[in-house]
Amino acid sequence: MMGFARRYVRFVDAVNYRIGRIVMYGIFFMVGVLLWSSISKTFFLPSLWTLEVAQFAMVAYYILGGPYSIQLGSNVRMDLFYSNWSDRRKAQVDAITVCFLIFYLAVMLYGAWDSTAYSFQYSERSPTAWRPYLWPIKVIMFIGILLMLLQSVSELIKDIAKIRGVTL
Amino acid sequence: MSYEMIALVMFSSMMLMLFTGQRVFGAIGAVGAAAAIFLWGTGGSDIPFSSAMKLMKWYPLLTLPMFIFMGYILSESKIADDLYKMFHVWMGPIHGGLAIGTIGLMVLVSAMNGLSVAGMAIGATIALPELLKRGYDKKMVTGVIQAGSSLGILVPPSVVLVLYAMIARAPVGQLWLAGVFPGLMMAAMFILYIAIRCKINPALGPVLPPEERTVSLGEKLALLRAGILPVAIFAAMMVPFVNGWTSLVESSAIGAMTAFVAAILKGRMTRNVFEVSVRQTLAISCMFMWIILAALGFGAVFDGLGAVRAIDNLFTDQLGLNPWMILILMQLSFLLMGTFLDDTAMLVIVAPLYVPLVNELGFDLVWYGILYTITTQIAYMTPPFGYNLFLMRAMAPPEISLRDIYGSILPFVLVMVLALVAIMTFPGIALWLPDYVYGK
Repeated sequence: MMGFARRYVRFVDAVNYRIGRIVMYGIFFMVGVLLWSSISKTFFLPSLWTLEVAQFAMVAYYILGGPYSIQLGSNVRMDLFYSNWSDRRKAQVDAITVCFLIFYLAVMLYGAWDSTAYSFQYSERSPTAWRPYLWPIKVIMFIGILLMLLQSVSELIKDIAKIRGVTL
Repeated sequence: MSYEMIALVMFSSMMLMLFTGQRVFGAIGAVGAAAAIFLWGTGGSDIPFSSAMKLMKWYPLLTLPMFIFMGYILSESKIADDLYKMFHVWMGPIHGGLAIGTIGLMVLVSAMNGLSVAGMAIGATIALPELLKRGYDKKMVTGVIQAGSSLGILVPPSVVLVLYAMIARAPVGQLWLAGVFPGLMMAAMFILYIAIRCKINPALGPVLPPEERTVSLGEKLALLRAGILPVAIFAAMMVPFVNGWTSLVESSAIGAMTAFVAAILKGRMTRNVFEVSVRQTLAISCMFMWIILAALGFGAVFDGLGAVRAIDNLFTDQLGLNPWMILILMQLSFLLMGTFLDDTAMLVIVAPLYVPLVNELGFDLVWYGILYTITTQIAYMTPPFGYNLFLMRAMAPPEISLRDIYGSILPFVLVMVLALVAIMTFPGIALWLPDYVYGK
């Protein structure tokens, strides 16, 4: 059990770290698309695809980057009480409340599954002039939310380990 | 259970969850998801995800990562430190001049980015040590920098107004224009306050020693070149936008690019600066996006309940209050909350509860956006929760104690409350410019 937990945490953290490190350069992709959009609009014909590509990029950016942002500890907490607790106390409370986070992500995942299945079934397209298929972005969102869920479970395991005083 | 009761339960469980210290987006999202399933079963379970689709379709949100990126480049690469020198030499010879110059510096920094972090970093690391060295009163200057940097979220471009626009479904362009005069007015009020304080007690802000004052006119003019950078960045963003060549989002990308290129040209884009700005942009963008995502899901359930109409009824019909009294009560409660909640928590509360109520009462949502932003600014500065307080602690030189920081903000908060009252009484301060530009 211990060995499995250790392997799980290492594996999930490593995967999410690598994905996050790649996704963070997505900011340049977004800047590039939007610059092209303004250039083409000013000097040539406006491109139809830029707006939606930028939107898809942004969604991929924050959903796939989410697990890495958890690792970086950048998700704010209301720390009126939290900041005064000892590390052990923090881990104890977190171990309980992170289950709510997991619940939320599970509901998200369920919705993503539903919505992605729908997109495949009816070949759903975006109702714009460019009319891109919607399933690719939904698949990305599904994967991202899944990774987020895996990362939250990893956080839970780390908290439990901290309470028990084991090092992973 | 009546709908009002459910709304109350939702709200109090959200507060409870927030106080446990779990990540804000998890706390709100979980309560929203649980309520949706409880109310509408499997049909409700799609709500959290469908708010992600709603978020995607909201185009102006793309400005968020752009401005965050821009802010980090500005603060990490310190390309703005020449600006400080400019104000130093030009404003130094008068009483309190350096403090007044710092407010000017903050206004320029605010016009280049949409967060208060950049102004804070520049103020605390560049201006503050200089001001202390010149014998300025440390309490006053700490307050100056905190108050000045909070202008970042009111003077366009402003990230807080982008988030508010998302929630209120109000146009970002109008909100930004509405922030211009209140921002400048508040800066003017800060300057006035400093000038009066220094007039009464010149020891608070001594003039520069004579050897520093004798700068030739040529050198003085040369220093003005530092002012080119903010003007250039602001113009690169705003000229194409105002002429209708680019949209708001495209302009923000141009701004991000300009700042990036400026940092490279000045030789400040080191490996470390690059790494920190790119990584922090992801971290902060993700934080904001996930919170909005969760807040939208929560808000959708709240909307579905019709809870706002019920609250409105309670106030207007049963208690017989007029809309203005309700607005003032809301603003008072919001100010009070602002002292112990942080800005993200305020966003979450304003989303489902305040914005629809303001709309229901028949007030202008653009105007309310400015009131909301100023309240957020106050929240940024007031203990025990204040983003700026912690940042200040982390960045300021060691001789500034936490007590100095806490003590320094009171007069500035009062000035801000005064500004708030002025804008409530004369909505034209905020609304004149957007009405003029958009020709209402």
